[in-house]
Amino acid sequence: MKKLLYALLLVASASIFVVQAKAQVIVIANPSVKTSEVSKNDLKEVFTGGSTALPGGGNVVPILLKAGTVHEEFLQAYIGKNDTAYRAGWRSLVFSGQASMPKSLDGDAAVVEFVAHNAGAVGYIGKTSPHEGVKVLAVK
Amino acid sequence: MLVGAMALIISTSLHAQEIKLGSKTLQVHGFGTEGFVHTDDNNWLTMNTSNVGSGEFTDFGANTSMQITTHFRAGAQFYDRNVGKLGRWHPELDWALADYKLKPWLGLRGGKVKTVLGLYNDTQDVDSAHTFALMPQSVYSIDMRDATLSHIGGDVYGTIKTPKLGKFSYTGYVGDQSQSIQGGYPYLLQIHGITIDKSGGLTYGGDLRWQTPIKGLLAGVSYEGNHVRNTGTLNPSIALGGPNEVIPYWEQSRSQFAKTIYGDYTYKNLRIDSEYKYFWRDFTIFNGGFQALTGTHGWYQSAAYRVNRWFEFGGYYSHFDLGWIVTAPGQFDAASVSDPSRHLYDKVITARFDLKQHWYAKVEGHFMDGNAAGNNPQYPNGFYTQVNPQGIKPNTNALVVRTGFSF
Repeated sequence: MKKLLYALLLVASASIFVVQAKAQVIVIANPSVKTSEVSKNDLKEVFTGGSTALPGGGNVVPILLKAGTVHEEFLQAYIGKNDTAYRAGWRSLVFSGQASMPKSLDGDAAVVEFVAHNAGAVGYIGKTSPHEGVKVLAVK
Repeated sequence: MLVGAMALIISTSLHAQEIKLGSKTLQVHGFGTEGFVHTDDNNWLTMNTSNVGSGEFTDFGANTSMQITTHFRAGAQFYDRNVGKLGRWHPELDWALADYKLKPWLGLRGGKVKTVLGLYNDTQDVDSAHTFALMPQSVYSIDMRDATLSHIGGDVYGTIKTPKLGKFSYTGYVGDQSQSIQGGYPYLLQIHGITIDKSGGLTYGGDLRWQTPIKGLLAGVSYEGNHVRNTGTLNPSIALGGPNEVIPYWEQSRSQFAKTIYGDYTYKNLRIDSEYKYFWRDFTIFNGGFQALTGTHGWYQSAAYRVNRWFEFGGYYSHFDLGWIVTAPGQFDAASVSDPSRHLYDKVITARFDLKQHWYAKVEGHFMDGNAAGNNPQYPNGFYTQVNPQGIKPNTNALVVRTGFSF
């Protein structure tokens, strides 16, 4: 049985590789969010369920992209996790009754549309995506 | 197992649901797992694992929740499991709570609430969130899961950030600990002719965790005290040599508590956990006729590394020993801790495959030294004479395969 387990681990390790893509991400917020800048640590707190407010910015609600290069880059740059590990953290909160899952949307346009029309919403999109009706938060 | 397989097939097309109720949104989420366990010697975790293996290792749950105002949230979750003789498909209300967060440093939660005790007590059923197919059994035993899982009462909680010392999070609670009667302890008592039909009592405690200024390092302590009373029926002929009849039974704690101290360190894709738990119970048993004292020490050291979004591997060493004094007739004093009946040392390696965003599988090997089953058992820890009528052998190796979904 030990040999079987070691073989499984070896096969799995050898057959898996990483593909990384690069994009540029901006963090956007509903104009009701009172601040124009946010620290990387405070942003991480909000997007991992550790906080529901930004210092100087009032109560906020994180909005996610469902998948894609922009989503992966945001997670790597500001959360320090990939999508699997990131969602595992949220599942712990959701299935133990400590939080509700953030809304996940299909693309940049949907995120901009939602953030623009919902007070306190904070999301992220590709740098080149149109983003009328929202404010861009500088990440310190 | 069939139910679990069907659930997994269905899961490939399941997604979290959001239902609009006026201006509010009701979220619906669910999860389920199906496992298979094969052991080389003893039957383990109340399953018949030692021949072909057992697939009687299924659980699932579903919840709804709603953010009603900026500060107020409510929700509920049901949970069901069938792990050998544990759970037995008796669905239970896992949690049902209202949560009002006044300030970051002050929130209130009431209802049936998962108990914060150590790193993972409140999330131990959320298999999709963990690397390992079985959490370290020295601290998160699936037999004794019900003893500390939740309470009906209230919590006060909050987080305090400091400029230089990091972040402190606290939880304090008091309530009634209404325990499932489908857990390992009631099952264990059946060999003594005892059938438990109600279990619970006052519980209280707290947790303090410190996100230190060192990036990725968290440390914490927890305490839980209980006043437990179990009631049911007893056939005195089985354990006490009395008449062959069924009479009312009760037992209750004179003192019971659990203490934990823990640490967690995350660096990029590496996660290292360490936790120690001491559990003490002083019980009046057999309708007040005798006394049973049990003390357990459990700790583990685990490490997990996520290679990429598809693959993670890890391992842990889980260390458990127990001692006891029972004044009832026919009971034995505890042997030396080096005796297999008093310890269970488990070395574990795991590979986790995240096949899709909502679907994963785990393969895990356990190499166990000892069984901690006691000479005449009073405390459950994975090995039971009911499913090992030939006697419990000292060591056991196990292969655990578990797959699950969540949405």
